[in-house]
Parts: sequence; C-alpha cells; structure tokens
Amino acid sequence: MTRALPIAPPEPSGRAPRRSSRRATAHPLAGALFVLPFFLVVVAFLVVPLGFAFWLSLSSKSLARGTRFSGVDNYVRAFTDPLLLDGVVRVVLFGVVQIPIMLGVALAGALAIDAVGTRFARVYRLVAFTPYAVPAVLGALMWGFLYSRTFGVFADVPVLFGGQPVDFFSSSLLLVSLGNIVTWAWTGYNTIVLYSALQGVPRETCEAAVIDGASPVQIALRVKVPAIRRAVSLAAIFSVIGTVQFFTEPYVMARFAPQISAGYTPNLYAYNQAFAYSNFHYSAAISFTLGFVVFVVAHVFVVVSRRRGAAS
Amino acid sequence: MTTTTGSRRRSGEPSSRLAHALMAAGVLYFVLPLVWIVIAATKSQPDLLSSPALWFGREFSLIDNVRRLFREDGGVYGRWLANTALYSGVSAAGATLLAALAGYGLARFSFWGKRFFETALLGMIMVPATALVLPTYLILSKTGIVNTVWAVVLPSLLSPFGTYLVRVHVTESVPVELIDAARVDRAGELRIFLQIVVPLMRPAIVTVFLVTLVATWNNYFLPLVVLSDADLYPLTVGLTTWFNTAQQEAGTRQLFDLVITGSLLAVVPLVAAFVLLQRFWRSGAGSGALK
Amino acid sequence: MPGISRWRRASRRLVPVLAAGGLLAAAACTTGDGAEPGGDGGPVRVSVWAWYPEFAGVVEAFNASHTDVQVDWTNVGTGPDQYAKLKTAFEAGTGAPDVAMVEFQQIPTFVVLDALADMGQYGANEDEHLYAEWAWSQATDGDAVHAIPVDGGPMALMYRKDLFEQHQIPVPTTWAEYAEAAVKIKAADPNAYVASFGSDGGWINGLMWQAGCRPYGYSPAEGRERVTIALTGPECRKVFDLHGDLVQRGLMAQDPFFTADATAALDSGKYWTWAAAGWTPGYVAGSLTRTAGRWAVAPMPQWTAGGDEQGDWGGSTFTVTKQAKNPGAATTVARELFGTSEAAWDVGLNKAFLHPLVTDVAADPAFIGKSHDFFGGQKVNEIFVPVSEKLGDFQFTPFQDFVFGELNDRSAEAMAGERPWSTVLEETQKNVVAHAEQQGFTVTQ
Repeated sequence: MTRALPIAPPEPSGRAPRRSSRRATAHPLAGALFVLPFFLVVVAFLVVPLGFAFWLSLSSKSLARGTRFSGVDNYVRAFTDPLLLDGVVRVVLFGVVQIPIMLGVALAGALAIDAVGTRFARVYRLVAFTPYAVPAVLGALMWGFLYSRTFGVFADVPVLFGGQPVDFFSSSLLLVSLGNIVTWAWTGYNTIVLYSALQGVPRETCEAAVIDGASPVQIALRVKVPAIRRAVSLAAIFSVIGTVQFFTEPYVMARFAPQISAGYTPNLYAYNQAFAYSNFHYSAAISFTLGFVVFVVAHVFVVVSRRRGAAS
Repeated sequence: MTTTTGSRRRSGEPSSRLAHALMAAGVLYFVLPLVWIVIAATKSQPDLLSSPALWFGREFSLIDNVRRLFREDGGVYGRWLANTALYSGVSAAGATLLAALAGYGLARFSFWGKRFFETALLGMIMVPATALVLPTYLILSKTGIVNTVWAVVLPSLLSPFGTYLVRVHVTESVPVELIDAARVDRAGELRIFLQIVVPLMRPAIVTVFLVTLVATWNNYFLPLVVLSDADLYPLTVGLTTWFNTAQQEAGTRQLFDLVITGSLLAVVPLVAAFVLLQRFWRSGAGSGALK
Repeated sequence: MPGISRWRRASRRLVPVLAAGGLLAAAACTTGDGAEPGGDGGPVRVSVWAWYPEFAGVVEAFNASHTDVQVDWTNVGTGPDQYAKLKTAFEAGTGAPDVAMVEFQQIPTFVVLDALADMGQYGANEDEHLYAEWAWSQATDGDAVHAIPVDGGPMALMYRKDLFEQHQIPVPTTWAEYAEAAVKIKAADPNAYVASFGSDGGWINGLMWQAGCRPYGYSPAEGRERVTIALTGPECRKVFDLHGDLVQRGLMAQDPFFTADATAALDSGKYWTWAAAGWTPGYVAGSLTRTAGRWAVAPMPQWTAGGDEQGDWGGSTFTVTKQAKNPGAATTVARELFGTSEAAWDVGLNKAFLHPLVTDVAADPAFIGKSHDFFGGQKVNEIFVPVSEKLGDFQFTPFQDFVFGELNDRSAEAMAGERPWSTVLEETQKNVVAHAEQQGFTVTQ
C-alpha cells in the first residue's frame, strides 16, 4: 500500500495555542521565491500529469476504431462497470475490517508504551516500527513465502493437531491474508504516530485523574484516548486513503494466488486496464474517479472533525 | 508537532503487566517475518524447500548466498543496490530541500496566492500516487528522459506532505520575533533561513528526509513503469523480476534463495538507518518543543 | 490477474541433445535483404527484448556469426511484465525495442495496436517452408508476416507411471477413462488427485483447443473490426463439464500451477497426472527431484475413442516493432536469432529446452530420439513432435489478455463455489463480447 504519511497532528488541547503569524514584514517576493522551486515541481509532476490524465479520460481509444472524444462516457462506464464495482465492494469490506483492527492494535500499543515507559517499551516501539522500513513489495513477497506450504510456517499448524493444512491463498482466506500483511506493515507506524500524540497530552489532566482514584486503564480510556481523538481520526483518514489505493500487496500476491482477479481492487483494475488491455483512457478515468473519491472523503472527514473539534 | 513534551508515568503493577503482555505478543508478531527471512537467508535452495521454516538447514549457506547474489547475472544486484541508494538519496535530499524552503516560505511570508496554495497542499497529499505514474510516464517520454535516472528522481522530488510538515513545524517552533530581530539587523533572507531557521527546524528536516528516503527506497510502481533497462532498476523492481523468473523456472535456476537473501540485504540499510536516527525521528514526529 | 504467461521451461542439467556435428542444413551466416550498415560505417545495432532462459548464448551466437548486424539484448521482465512495457511504449510513441519476443496468443493484440512491422516487406515470406504450418499461420495474415515462430507447446499427458502400474490403473486414452482413473486414484490414496485444475487461461485454452473448440476468429486482413467469439459451443463446454465435475467431486485439486507449492505437490505424489506441453521435460526435470524417473508421457486423452485431436499450450515468436529504426536489419535479427542457426538451437534445445517449431530441427533424430532420464528413459519427443505437426488452425482474439484473464477469473470463482461451473463459459462469453464491443469491434457470436 502506498501511503502518504500521517505524523501526529497538533492537538487542539495543547498549551501553546497556534497563533496566526501573518506579521511577516519581508519583501513579498522573498516568500514567493522560497516556495517557487517546490511550486515548479508541483506543476511539473502533479498539475500537468493530473490535467493530462483528465484530458485522456475525456476521450476513448478503442482498439478497432482509434481515438475519439467521448466526454463523460468513461465515467459513466466506470460507475456501471460490474468488475470495478466488485473491486470497490471488496476494498470497502477490507477497510471496514482491517482499519479498525490495525488502529486498535496501534492504539493499544501506544497506550502501553506511554503507560509503562520501560526499556521494553522502547524495544517494542522500535520492533513494531521496523516493518515500515520494509518495502511493500518485499513485505508481500516475504508473507507470500510464509503463507506457502513449501516455505512457510503457518499452513501446517493445524496438521499438528490432526487437522487439514490451511490454504492462505484460497479465495475464502485471501482477503484475510492480505489484511494481515497490511496490518503487519502499518501498525507500528500508526503506533508511533499515536504515541507521539499521547506525549502531547498535558500531564496535569492525567494527574488530576490519578488523584480522583482512576485506574491506569480508566485513565487510558477516559482521559488519554479522547485527548488524542484528532490524531486517531487523522490516522484513520490516511488509512482510508491507503486502502482506496490498495495495489502493491494484491499485485505481488497474484503470483502466489492466481485467483486474484484483474479487478480485485479498483487500483489493480486501473493498472490492468492500462497495462494489460491498453485502455489507457478508461484507466485514467478510473484513477481520476478514485482520486476524486479519496479527495472528497478526506475533505469531508477533515471538515467534520474540525467542526467537532471546535464544538468540544 | 505536539505542543507539550509528555513525561512518562509509571503505572500500577497489574496494568503494567497487561501492557507488557500486550507488547510481548506484538514483538513476536512484528519480528516473526524478519526472523524468518534472516534464517531463510542462511539456507541453500534445497534446504529452503526441505527444512523447517523457522530453523536452520543442514548447511549454513549465508556467505555462499551473498557471494552468489553479487555474482548472478553479471553482478547486477550490486548495481541495484547502488541505484536504490542513489535514487533515494538524491530524491530525499532534493525533496527535503524543496520542502524546507517552501514550508518556511508558506509559514512565515505572505504573498499572492498563498492561501489558495496552502489549501491545495492538503489536497495534493491525498492524490493517489498510482494515478500520477501513467500520465507522468507519457509526459516524460515526450521529453526523452524515460529509462534514465531522471525519470525516477525528478518525480520523486514531489513531497507535498514534507512541505506541509515543515510548514506546521515552523509555525509552531520558529518564533516570528527571532526573524524580525534578524531583519532589524539587516540580515539577508537567505542568511536568516540558513543560520536561524534551519537549525530550529532540524527535527522536521530529519523527519522529512527519512520519510522521503523511505518512500523512494520502497517505491516500486514508478520505476517499474519508467525503467526498462535492468542496469537501472532499483532493488524492488530487480528482486521482483528475479522472483518472477524463479517462479517461471520453478526453482530449477536457483533464484528463490537469492531473492530471499537479496530482500534481507535490501531491508538492512533502512532498518539500520532507522535505529541510528531513531532519536531524531522521534523528536521529529513528536516535536514541537520550543528549544 | 490476466495474461499470466505460460511460457516456462528450464534446467541446465540435461545432457546436450545435439552433437556438435552438422545436424542442421544451413548455417545462418547470411543477413537478410534489409540490413544496411550503420551510419558511422559500423554494424547496425538492433535492440531485442526477450525472456528466454539462457538467451545470452543465443545472442552471442548471433553476434559472432554476423558482422553487419549486432544484437543488444535486454530482459525487461517475463510475459505480462514485458507486454505492459511494450504497450506503454506504443502508447507513448517511443521506448519500444526493435525486436520483441511475443507469445502466439498475443500477436493479434499487438497487430491491432498497430505495433508490429510487416516483415513480409523484408523478405520474411521466404521462411514459410521452415516452420510448422499452424505456427506460420498464427504468425502471419495473408502475406503480412507479423512474427517469426520460435517454439511451441504441443500438449501431452504426463503421468506417474510407477503409481499407475502399482495400482493397475490403465493409462487413460479418452477423457471418460481419465475420469474413471480419477476415481481409482482417489480410492488408492485419499490424499491424491488425478491432477490440479490450475485456473490458468493458457492451459484451459490448450484443453479447449484439444477438444476441437475454436472459439475465436480474427483476421485483420479480412476485417480489422470484425471478430468472432464463440465460447459456448459444445466442444468448448465439454472441457468445463468434465473438469468442473472432477473438481466438484473432490477428484481434482485446485492449486494454481507454477508456484513453489505446486512444484512440491507434483513431487510429493499429490497429483498423478498433468496435461502438460512440449516444454515440460525441461521444466520438470530440474525441479522435481524426488519423483524423477517415475513419470512417463502419454498422448492426450481423446474426446472420442480413437480420435486424434491435439492442442497447444504456450509458444513464442519474434516480432519487429513499428518503432524499429532499421526494420530490415530487425527482420534479419528476428529471422536468424534462432531460425536455422545451429549454435542457437544448441542452446535452445539443450539449455533452454524449447520445443522447436522449425520442422527440420524438430524432426532431427537427435531431438526426437533423445531419451529422458526423468521419464524413465522414455523418448518423449516421439509423442510431442507428431502432436506439433498435427496441430490445426487456431486463432486468437486481438484482446487475448482479457479473454485469458476472464477464463482464469471465472474458473477461480467456480472453484471457490461462487458460481456454477456450467456458467463459466457463458459469463466469459458475455464479458468478452461486452469488452469487444466496447473496443469498437463488430462481434460474430
């Protein structure tokens, strides 16, 4: 999963409220010059490619008849393409199960580290974070080996108890197997993010709760978790973004499990439309739709959480 | 980026035991595949196929595997390693520089179009990378830099997230007063940036550098599409090519062991970088402390 | 995933088939008509993408025997990986090699993408007599030569001779007998299966071909926009009826082919047969170590007793792309990399284990008469070579990736119990027709 990286956002409850600093007195051109190099890269590698993709998506190139302008046809097709919709359903299902598990484990880990602060907690933090440094392709390959009966560890566990070996690549378990890879790769990262946020929770809040006789678990659940609500929701939104883009793991895993179909995830479908079926225009429309959906979902989420943040 | 540096609290015994039990289970989970790959890298191909997955084989073949790894296909693995280091090093340095400049510019200056750009920044973070690769390829091919180092490095310079991170960090930890004071002393803007601002935002810079380093080191899709010369491949693309060949030839050409050893060696540098830079990384992720 | 390539073979362990002496009539030292020296007076350099095993030796042989044309070879990935790169390069209008390895089923796809040069203009029609008829017909369209055949995958049944004999199960000569054998195998060993249904588009296609099913029709020369798709005929259907039934009764396993697990299973006695192809001897001989010597090859079971229908699974060609800078020189390379080059075929047969489509090479007594230790000394090419000669006409669609992907994905659904086996072909037909019409083709069903 390719993901942009969430880092602990500033919690609104911090003791140094953000000031708006619009007092810059320098030459206006200076600021623009600082931003210019980045701006040029944005134009060259984001705005232009996006514009180009959009332009592509407005025409169709059929194998038999060549290119013609087709307006929103590709988009209409995308929203009615059963193969694409299958993938969408699958990814939604995947996200609904995997994201809460991953964030739950990450939150538990972060709370544990924060609560004990021992040397072991530091070891845990480091170990949990290590998978982040493993390229997604190699992580998926490693798990592919681990799942396999020939190379792996787990498939034959039930045999020890007289059962049948598990086939992690079977259609019924595939999504679980994939979910595990993603969870393994990203839980530690989210743990660090949430842990950083926890460190920003003012001490006094917790101390007050201790005086009130709250147990550490109660403090964790009633004081700390609400205090880092924004970090949790930001981690959630980045996980959603990653899930919508789900590609690398199924792409690699298809070499172990050929039943990963061309439209297994929407992004895989977009890839196959372009690179296997030469439907570059339709592929651009799918990518664009996906990007748009992500953008809208993320935006709504940010707006809603800001409102709720302001209200509380 | 958080506003206080929390101090750790030692808690009561039972919950501490709970916490430790949770963490112990977690350590096992996270470390298992890594233990497996370390062990698997010590095995020859026949051992891989026949010995227990989590224990050593009949012979210790790590040295032999590494030697073969660097000899296979005319030593191309060494090139992949060097390419990966080059791509990610240059991209990370470049992206960090751009992000530092832009983040500072956005945080401490006002100019025409700034607000719009800042709003757009959040949107940019959310653009799926895969949506950009194909059009980027088509555009790059018109300029003739497809299948060159630049085709990987230039698009990797784009890090809206890095810029966002620096901007937030500067807003919180680079006092306006300090900059104003320097301006009163008639220091040039570039000098203020280099001598005052950069030292203050070191944690953010380290974080952005690491994040972009990892992103490029781990990137698969972009190099897969824009490169067609095996001598230019990074590790991710090269090793998957080998893996496919290994599948294709069903283990007759001994490649599974090399893919595994190669993956281990590909992961080690980044893990080492993280362990070594852990301090900076943490203070980057959780920073905001006004020093 | 669509288009997972079924082009595999390997092992360096077999002893050379071809003796050093002149087995092949003509040494390929001549260059074709179009070859001109490079502008600077040096040799023309032709870039080639291919993923044959041991291909470096073939390139070396070519470069050693040619002075005015030299090959620069790159392996950009296997099957679908390379095709993805080719398609991207054609979309971009730049970046494709001069010569590319392309499997038979992909030729119409690249033809309709207008990606392939017509080698007929550079004298390639002269080579027609060299190749197996079915292969030449798939590689050409009228006088247009889109590809030069290299190797094929005539199908035959690989089986565990020792186990069949031990349990006194007759080697099936018809598919009905095959189903009976499946029952007996299960009775002999509850953990064993007659074979695995690999849900592999290319393999399924081979089985359909062998059943007399001709589901596709496409000839750009006759009508670029017209394509025939008829996947639901009785000849096609019976393949799915039989295998679906075996899978449902638990007599046929459901593991994919070509994974390490599949190899281990073949080597463990889990499967007793495999409907394999001419490249199999090289592929299995190196990877199955425990059961080496216990296998044998029999002709494919027939649908009617005494019949002689055959099929092909896999095979590849060289094509010249429209982006080739010097199509004449590129044609020379495509024709002569293997062609009748003795040195190239020495590598191709003895190290890469290709099943040659050059009829003289396939008919060579040294190739046909080679006994394979893996098959208990059996001369398996005595079975494979006649199959290749008998293969009839078979056409592919200009979107075969999609068709194979559909066959693969819909079969996988049937195996997972998500759809009745009887609907696999109907659903595939429906989706393929929709795709074809979407692409602007007029479909005859």
